[in-house]
Amino acid sequence: MINFSDLTFIFRFLPVFLIAYYLTPITYRTWTLLIGSLAFYAVGDIRLFPALLGAVVVNYLFGRANFGEKKKLLLAFAVCLDALMLIEFKLIGQFINNSFLPIGISFYTFKMISYQVDIYKGKIEKEPKFVDAAAYFTMFPQVTSGPIMRYSDFERLELKEKFGDILEQIEDGLKFFVLGLGFKVILADHFAMLWKDIGTIGYESISTPLAWIGAVTYSLQLYYDFWGYSLMAAGIGVMLGFPFITNFDQPYSSGSISEFYRRWHATLGSWFKDYIYIPLGGSRKGTGRTFLNLLVVWLITGFWHGVTLNFILWGLILFVFIALEHFVIMPKLPKTLGKIIGKINVLVFIPLTWVIFAIANPMQLLDYFKRLFPFFGEGISVNQNDFIKNLGIYGGFLAVGIILLLTGLYRFFVKNRKHPVINVFLFILFWACIFSLSNAAGNPFMYFKF
Amino acid sequence: MWFKKSPLLIGVVVFTILISGISFGLKDTVYQEYSISMGADTPILSLFFKGLSEGVYPWSSAPIEEPIELVEDEIDVEEVTEPVEEPVEEPVTDVSANDVSGNDVSGNSEDVTYEFTEVTDDYFCDALFIGDSRTVGLSEYCEELDSRATFYSKVSLTIFTAMNKEFVKTEDGRKITVDQALSEHQFAKIYIMLGLNEIGTGNTEYFCNKYKEVLDRIRELQPDAIIYIQGIMHVTAHKSDNDKHFNNTNINERNEALSQFADNKTIFYIDMNEAVDDENGNLLSELSFDDVHLKASSYERWHQYLLQHAIVK
Repeated sequence: MINFSDLTFIFRFLPVFLIAYYLTPITYRTWTLLIGSLAFYAVGDIRLFPALLGAVVVNYLFGRANFGEKKKLLLAFAVCLDALMLIEFKLIGQFINNSFLPIGISFYTFKMISYQVDIYKGKIEKEPKFVDAAAYFTMFPQVTSGPIMRYSDFERLELKEKFGDILEQIEDGLKFFVLGLGFKVILADHFAMLWKDIGTIGYESISTPLAWIGAVTYSLQLYYDFWGYSLMAAGIGVMLGFPFITNFDQPYSSGSISEFYRRWHATLGSWFKDYIYIPLGGSRKGTGRTFLNLLVVWLITGFWHGVTLNFILWGLILFVFIALEHFVIMPKLPKTLGKIIGKINVLVFIPLTWVIFAIANPMQLLDYFKRLFPFFGEGISVNQNDFIKNLGIYGGFLAVGIILLLTGLYRFFVKNRKHPVINVFLFILFWACIFSLSNAAGNPFMYFKF
Repeated sequence: MWFKKSPLLIGVVVFTILISGISFGLKDTVYQEYSISMGADTPILSLFFKGLSEGVYPWSSAPIEEPIELVEDEIDVEEVTEPVEEPVEEPVTDVSANDVSGNDVSGNSEDVTYEFTEVTDDYFCDALFIGDSRTVGLSEYCEELDSRATFYSKVSLTIFTAMNKEFVKTEDGRKITVDQALSEHQFAKIYIMLGLNEIGTGNTEYFCNKYKEVLDRIRELQPDAIIYIQGIMHVTAHKSDNDKHFNNTNINERNEALSQFADNKTIFYIDMNEAVDDENGNLLSELSFDDVHLKASSYERWHQYLLQHAIVK
């Protein structure tokens, strides 16, 4: 149920919650949000639910103590506590048992750190009540995988009273939710199947064309899975009266890797900018310091995604590219050439970095890169025609994924989302997703088509 | 007015109520088969969609037969309703007696016992492989076999669909069933590996009755062929320890039953698991990525096993 693309969530939790939420008088609606969110989390991960509760209470108390006080030591203590909690659970999760990693901890601790800093800096004008802070930290549309909303956006919650306004609000949120659901169920899940099929063959045995198709496929899977999730989360937020939080803004139309990461998982990127890069001095303290600050940001970004070597490597490689862009490509090269290189970086190197992101085992990663660049060695029992078969099965999905990625169709959707044709499209899309989910869920044999 | 403000929401809500109502009303009739296997945590409207994917609509007539999972004592009834073939009532051990062609060239070989010997790849020039995705993998990643033998293999094939599913491609681009294909082409050796997809369906007896039926039919169509029943390949320990259905205990139970069909004259049982197992009888984890299939580079073990376990008459 803790997953938005789950029939129980869509047909049970969400409608029941929305009805309860809007039946609650305006003054107590945040309480309904808090209680609903706690229930949501408890169903998903009851064992580590106390960790969330503890963090909520502690952060609220630190926030209250520091409100209007500007005590640097207090801030440092609270931030260290949050960071240590995250680091400790990540290490336990990695080296002892994965089930000890509380769901969503990477996201809710980041929200808590931003809360402490924003309070210290006076960015939060009205002192938050316990229910507000707690609902902000735990709100179910964001608690598992973001977006990492700021408290200032939480404060922009608009509570509607008129039935017509409420309907309109839910309608608008539902549109983003359905589109996100479609991205996840129709696109991302099929890309995941192809990526798994490639694994089944074994990386050492795929043909070079299939290796490249695989890199594209995994990139698309990640994009539509996370973008789809983010749209669903933002859509639910809109249904509740929050502003739409943009987490993905057509990243693949970027002209450089640094721009890509301003548009990809944007709430995480801006978190790193505001709470790490700029406090370290950003780019204002000379070349050497800028270089170092970028390195710190990208090392932490890698670590945040996972504690295995491949994530650290992934962060370091992105650091190298971004440093190159910052210090060489942008200032030293002619503008046109810089633009061309930037585009190539986004469209060719980003998919390659996702391969590093995907494969945790260093030997397997090496095997995969040997197949991408076959002059480093030969494969074992390679079927040179494997890509033709897979294009036959997944080619249509890949084409749709790439077209949506490179064009402005999403912006067209946002602009025209009230048009009847879009409504009909979303209606069909929704039921197509439900059809697909019904036939996958509750039927253990669906996954076992050998 | 409300519909104008929120057409999508109202459309979705109305449809949800409608489909839930239909699913609820028909859960014990049209959708009975799905509602039995569905847990309480799944919203009821998924019945409608499960039906839809198999061509069962609200106006379809309710199934008369019992769902497969419940059939245990009524196998005979089930078999009579199967339109595939006439069941031949013969003792299990005497499979070759089902040979209706009457021109069995090895008719005088009753007392001859055969031993597995090593052969070269050309042995497979007149061989046929029938199987599920694992056999598909063998055809894709074992060039020696693919270039010589014929493969009637398909992802998610089961013993229940093996003979009557139209998936064998003919030269003129049509798709025919294995039954039809075997009526048109003769093979000297037929290798079968089926049984994993249906491991959660029915019990071993039910499975074996169907298997026997398929063997009999193949024997009828291919009187001279050596039939190899291949034991179902194991899954890895990781899979086996964590899955209620797809585990090696179940696989071994069915393999043991399948091995009884061998008469060691025209039907032989071979078990390639010995080429891919670890010391505990699980599929070696390094040979598989998804715990179920061999990696491309591991099919060679299967190939070598087949080369060393051939019957030459």
